[in-house]
Amino acid sequence: MRTGLTISGVGHAAVLLWCVVTFVARPYHAGTSEALPVDVISTSELAQITKGTKNAPPVEKPKPVAEKVAAPAPVDDPLAKLANKEIKAATDVPPVPERKPPEPKAKKPPQPQADPIADALKKDDDKKPDPKKPDPKPPTPPKKPAQQEPPPFDPRNVQALLDKRTPQRMAMVGDEIGNNKLSLGGPNQSAEQLSQSELGALRDRLQNLWNLPAGNKDPRELTVEVEIQLKPDGTLAAPPTVLTQGSSPLFQAARDSARRAVYQGQPYTMLRPEHYELWKDVIVTFDPQYIGRY
Amino acid sequence: MTQHNSSSDIGWLNRRQAVLLGAGAAGALAGLTPRRAGAVVRLDITKGNVQPIPIALPDFIGTSAGDPETAHDVTQIIVSNLQRSGLFAPIDPAAYIERISSFDAFPRFPDWRQINAQLLVTGRMSREGGRLKAEFRLWDVFAGSPLDGQQFVTSPENWRRIAHIISDAIYQKVTGDKGYFDSRIVFVDESGPKDRRVKRLAIMDQDGAQVRYLTRGDDLVLTPRFSPTTQQITYMSYGQGEPRVLLLNIENGQREIVGNFPGMTFAPRFSPDGQRVVMSLQQGGNANLFVMDLRSKATTRLTDTAAIDTAPSYSPDGARICFESDRGGKPQIYVMGAGGGGAQRISFGEGIYSTPVWSPRGDYIAFTKQSEGKFAIGIMQPDGQGERILTEGFHNEGPTFAPNGRVIMFFRDPGGNSGPALYTVDVTGRNEQRTPTPSFASDPAWSPLLS
Repeated sequence: MRTGLTISGVGHAAVLLWCVVTFVARPYHAGTSEALPVDVISTSELAQITKGTKNAPPVEKPKPVAEKVAAPAPVDDPLAKLANKEIKAATDVPPVPERKPPEPKAKKPPQPQADPIADALKKDDDKKPDPKKPDPKPPTPPKKPAQQEPPPFDPRNVQALLDKRTPQRMAMVGDEIGNNKLSLGGPNQSAEQLSQSELGALRDRLQNLWNLPAGNKDPRELTVEVEIQLKPDGTLAAPPTVLTQGSSPLFQAARDSARRAVYQGQPYTMLRPEHYELWKDVIVTFDPQYIGRY
Repeated sequence: MTQHNSSSDIGWLNRRQAVLLGAGAAGALAGLTPRRAGAVVRLDITKGNVQPIPIALPDFIGTSAGDPETAHDVTQIIVSNLQRSGLFAPIDPAAYIERISSFDAFPRFPDWRQINAQLLVTGRMSREGGRLKAEFRLWDVFAGSPLDGQQFVTSPENWRRIAHIISDAIYQKVTGDKGYFDSRIVFVDESGPKDRRVKRLAIMDQDGAQVRYLTRGDDLVLTPRFSPTTQQITYMSYGQGEPRVLLLNIENGQREIVGNFPGMTFAPRFSPDGQRVVMSLQQGGNANLFVMDLRSKATTRLTDTAAIDTAPSYSPDGARICFESDRGGKPQIYVMGAGGGGAQRISFGEGIYSTPVWSPRGDYIAFTKQSEGKFAIGIMQPDGQGERILTEGFHNEGPTFAPNGRVIMFFRDPGGNSGPALYTVDVTGRNEQRTPTPSFASDPAWSPLLS
């Protein structure tokens, strides 16, 4: 008896302990699912939205060139920023001695240029290159001639030589092109979707007009697929094409009723002209399966 | 009565259409290829509207003297037929914009679209060597195209049937189901005070017109039933002797007794091929089902129970019989093979089920249900599922199906001093209508289509 109890106790304890040690509490990962944009919209809201888009600012085409942009006032600042980049164009930059800000920057560029020499010099005299501002200056005094006269070839300057455009221009184009603006999508993209409210309105319209006589024996056989081609004004571009085949009188009646609904529904003004590419061709399936037999 | 699918007369139209179609097809082909570029939006419509279809029926055109009146009457019959079906909503002629003056010209569809007509029927009545010729066309107003066109030639006195046949053609084109307008009703006409009712067999068109009496009213008559194939009626007559099942030829009035049984026979009904009559035979306190072959007169017993088996009705394929039996205590509905044998109970609801009738479409069995002091007309599937009450009241009884199985006729007695009258209701439970009869009427039976 006592031994039994002990064995049982020890056994249970062992199992519990084993559980405590081996059970790993891992965080439960539910598969990440992408959020699906769903808009719940009443018909009145739909009308408001449709009105709203009319007043929306006209979509500007992306500016391919920025010839005129060079003029704007903020020119000074970008120039200052750019000066940083234009390390290799150091020879050009010095021409602005009257300002203070450019000066310190102008000082620095020479340093890297002089690196190989400076390295050697530094060991000799530490802070000597700094006071030696005049060093790089000799080429600068003749402002314009300096530019025409090719500076001594430096392979590290190749990049600067290749791009002859003014630094301002680069700056502004970058500013304009930057993806910091809201966009309605690319001009040629068809990734846009018809909004659910547009589809819903179209569906409502057809459902209201589709009149299938009740009491058919087996409504399941009477599914009709109709292809509709529309013009931009929402009217039919061609008679609706029935894609489903059938010959029974019941099918013919269902087909005719579907076709009547399509004819009667035009013009389909709930489809926005902006999306015409998307809805110029619509396939509608009329499925009477759930229309009760009573 | 002759009938052609109008070919010669609308031939020009076909040719013109062919040209149009050809042009349209070429256009469609040219238009198709570039359109395939983008993704196609797909849409499922799973709900619809169950509302009467607006239809315009201007008076048919009468070409010779006297025809305009006939044409008007024919149009009126079609209008009332379609209206009573509950599936069409004829538009008031006062709203019509275009006056149809020529049968051969295309109607001006925009005019009809404007009054919201979905369908338009035009027609012409004319004489051809003393015979009446009727032509009609059914137009789809919104598509602007003809849906159907037929012509019929008959003797002038058959103008009512022409109207019914045209109604059936329109009904079938639009619903896909066969119509039921060209059919007749046999019923028991009741006249006189309540304690001394005179009951006569009568027959009329399904719309209540052309009532004709088949018996004089000396004997009590009950449960008349149409033969599905011939001009015969079987019914129960209660004269001096015992109640008997009789066979009556509508055309020549000849009568004959069905079978030679000792005891009362009742609740007769024809088999779908019209060759046999199944009925109930009383034996002591019990009643069993028998079937008799009309040609060989051979009878076969179908049930043998110590209960009352009655009101047998064949399934449309003739393979099974549904009937009423109180073998389980209360009267309920059972189904068995046409040759007899084991029966299966299919009704399990509260109350008493009686007078089962199998739909000609095969999908339902209609019955009278009695519970809580009310009589209801209902339908259920042949396996007993999907029971549905269509109408309920003080006294409703005796359902009978229209030839297409979409409408049920029954009789209703409001109680008190008045008497029974005939009503129709759709199997959907909608569209309940009274059928006009000259006096009280009960026990209706719907004939098959005449044509």
